[in-house]
Amino acid sequence: MSDFAPAGDPVIPDYGQASDCVINNGAFCTDWFLSQWSTVFWPPLVSHIVMVAIAVSIGFVIAFGAGLLAYRKKWLAGPIGMAATFLYTLPPLALFQLLVPFTGLSLLTVEIALVCFTLIIIFQAVLVGLSGVPDDVRRAATGMGLDRNQLLFKVELPLALPSIISGLRIATVLTVSIATIAAFVVDDGLGSPIIKAVSSPFNTQFVGAGALAVLLAFALDGLLVLLGRVLTPWTKARS
Amino acid sequence: MTQHSTGTSITFDRATKTYPGAAVPALDALDLEVEAGELVCLVGPSGGGKTTALQLVNRLVDLTSGDIRIGDRSITDQSAIALRRTIGYAIQQSGLFPHYTVADNIATVPVVLGWDKARIRTRTAELLELVGLSPVETWLPRYPAQLSGGQQQRVGIARALAADPPVMLMDEPFGALDPITRVAVQDEFLAIHRAVGKTTLFVTHDIDEAIKMADRIAILKPGGKLAQFDTPANVLSDPADDFVAEFLGAERGLKRLALTTVGEIVTAGTTGAKAATTDGARPSTTGWPDVEATMTLREALSVVSAARADGAIVHSDGSRLGEVSLHDLIAPPAAGEDREGVRA
Amino acid sequence: MDVVFGSFPFMIDHLGLLLSSTGDHLVISLIPLLAAIVTGVPIGVWLGHAHRGEFLAVSVTNIGRALPSLALIAILIGFVGIGTLNAVIALFLLAFPPILSYSFQAVDSIDRDLTRAARGMGMSPLQVLLKVELPLGLPMIIAGIRTSAVLTVSSATIATIAGSGGLGDVILNQVAYGMEGVIAGAIWVAVLAILIDQAFALLLRISAPAGVKRLQSANAA
Repeated sequence: MSDFAPAGDPVIPDYGQASDCVINNGAFCTDWFLSQWSTVFWPPLVSHIVMVAIAVSIGFVIAFGAGLLAYRKKWLAGPIGMAATFLYTLPPLALFQLLVPFTGLSLLTVEIALVCFTLIIIFQAVLVGLSGVPDDVRRAATGMGLDRNQLLFKVELPLALPSIISGLRIATVLTVSIATIAAFVVDDGLGSPIIKAVSSPFNTQFVGAGALAVLLAFALDGLLVLLGRVLTPWTKARS
Repeated sequence: MTQHSTGTSITFDRATKTYPGAAVPALDALDLEVEAGELVCLVGPSGGGKTTALQLVNRLVDLTSGDIRIGDRSITDQSAIALRRTIGYAIQQSGLFPHYTVADNIATVPVVLGWDKARIRTRTAELLELVGLSPVETWLPRYPAQLSGGQQQRVGIARALAADPPVMLMDEPFGALDPITRVAVQDEFLAIHRAVGKTTLFVTHDIDEAIKMADRIAILKPGGKLAQFDTPANVLSDPADDFVAEFLGAERGLKRLALTTVGEIVTAGTTGAKAATTDGARPSTTGWPDVEATMTLREALSVVSAARADGAIVHSDGSRLGEVSLHDLIAPPAAGEDREGVRA
Repeated sequence: MDVVFGSFPFMIDHLGLLLSSTGDHLVISLIPLLAAIVTGVPIGVWLGHAHRGEFLAVSVTNIGRALPSLALIAILIGFVGIGTLNAVIALFLLAFPPILSYSFQAVDSIDRDLTRAARGMGMSPLQVLLKVELPLGLPMIIAGIRTSAVLTVSSATIATIAGSGGLGDVILNQVAYGMEGVIAGAIWVAVLAILIDQAFALLLRISAPAGVKRLQSANAA
């Protein structure tokens, strides 16, 4: 039995006057959720967003750089892809724990692990996007006298944007999900109220925090879709 | 050739390209002199090196040996990037940037050359007018995906002309268009070529397109060797060898008839002579079909054949210009010798 | 650092524990995985064959990806209680979406000209499915199973909070096994995930039809 497994019957948290729903441990007690919002749910939601934003930003910078490098030096694509796939395959909980001896029970540990999981997704999205630029477009651009940097910044990267954005979307949604597991290492994020409620299996806390994580994933996904629309106006222009 | 020529000659001097790992050259010691303002078509089967020859000029492919000069200047005298900005380049599928509007596409080279905004705007509008996309305001903000194939190709040509390059390279620019659009764009490009007089190298695998467009045709054969370089009329009447004859096909005689219009032979006053001499009187023209003076002899022959007649009545702008007999059509006195006339 | 090295003696001393935990881990991973294959592949293939239900396939995938495994397992504690059943249901819910969407894509994305040609030659819908769509779609179907297999083994680690056993029990029980035990369990489950991933990678290479493989290597050359 692990430290976290429930030890016995539900222990209903006594937060003052409990409603029938709370006393009977109903599936989701709206009154309790609302009354505890500012203490139980809001702070972990904020720290969750921060955690995800940091991880995806750093992951993006690293994977974008690696993607550009692998695009210019084709022979690097294989080894980089293999390394990033290897990291992606590791079970999140295992990676968190394996980092603890080096970086402790810290936010640094969490961020390193989360970044590791974003790499392959963004790396491949960049590479696929750049490789997907039509040959005739590249040939026309070169033939007109654009130099390498102009070709990259004026033609190749803009045309790779849809693929890069969709990679970012997947990486973000995935990171929101995995970041809940960070609560085994630090008392942060939406995983933390979930783990705290395990020993007294209290449904509203599970359901509330879980639903917030799912909603957060969809909200961030929607934001990235909007960003994509703004950045790539030509994709919706059809005759 | 053209009065308003602003072009510069292109000279291939034993230009040779052997790709790494290839046993035979893709282009073998090509000697070719394209005069200023001239439109030369490079034709030949795949493997003949025609696209290689074109891409050597703007250094998308590097010479193995020999030289190419634009005007008096070797293409290796300046950087490839600087060279390319002085050469118009249009390719099949147009190669338009999907994320740029029509305006931005045309402005690509002027922008990298650092032209000011007002000059770019004027130039863009002028070019859209030139390629027949007006009113320009409707076309400027569109994306390539919002244009038909023919419109995309017109924008591609406008983009190639943007920085007013003395030389144009066109790599099967109309290859992906449907036959009707293709004819329209060909006609427009010929008109533009006459107006701006750019020296143009034009790659096509379609011999009929070459016959229609070219001042002179360069026929390349496998192994990258030049088989013949001459005017369409001369190529058709005197193929240099069996390869050229076979490449031109069994309809070579008919293709030659496509070089002259009925209007030209009627105006030249050479019609009817043979027919009139048979019994001293002009033949009856009863049942002869009507043809337009702008039709080629080949087209008129088709009309006459379909009507099972011995000749046709030629009209121009609604008035009767004269008549041509079957004999006039199949044995014209000077078919294709006046190239400019065909285009007028 | 010492802890990492210390985990190796732990593995030797507690080989029995690790092996039985691995056994439990595989059982709670394989049951939901098999259930997801048995349900997800036929549904996905059928939808793909009919070129219908794209919205369903995409939605299931999106929700599946957004659903945190930890939240899912925790919520099920409330409704199913603790134990293996909880883990099996949770892991099934996680394994199902990738298998469904890959199977759908595998068949749906096959060049319509091919299936039209097959029908034009007089093949029945079933023959088109068995002779054209399944052989060509097989690699992608297996890719979906691969994704789900790795996901299931990964998530089974967390299922321990529902008291289901497996290697998560070792990883999350520092009190009993010390940090060496935690690291040993983490290494063990990481290796397990990689082995399973590589096994499927191998299967993937074998599963591609000979003609397609030749085509791929020709394209790569």
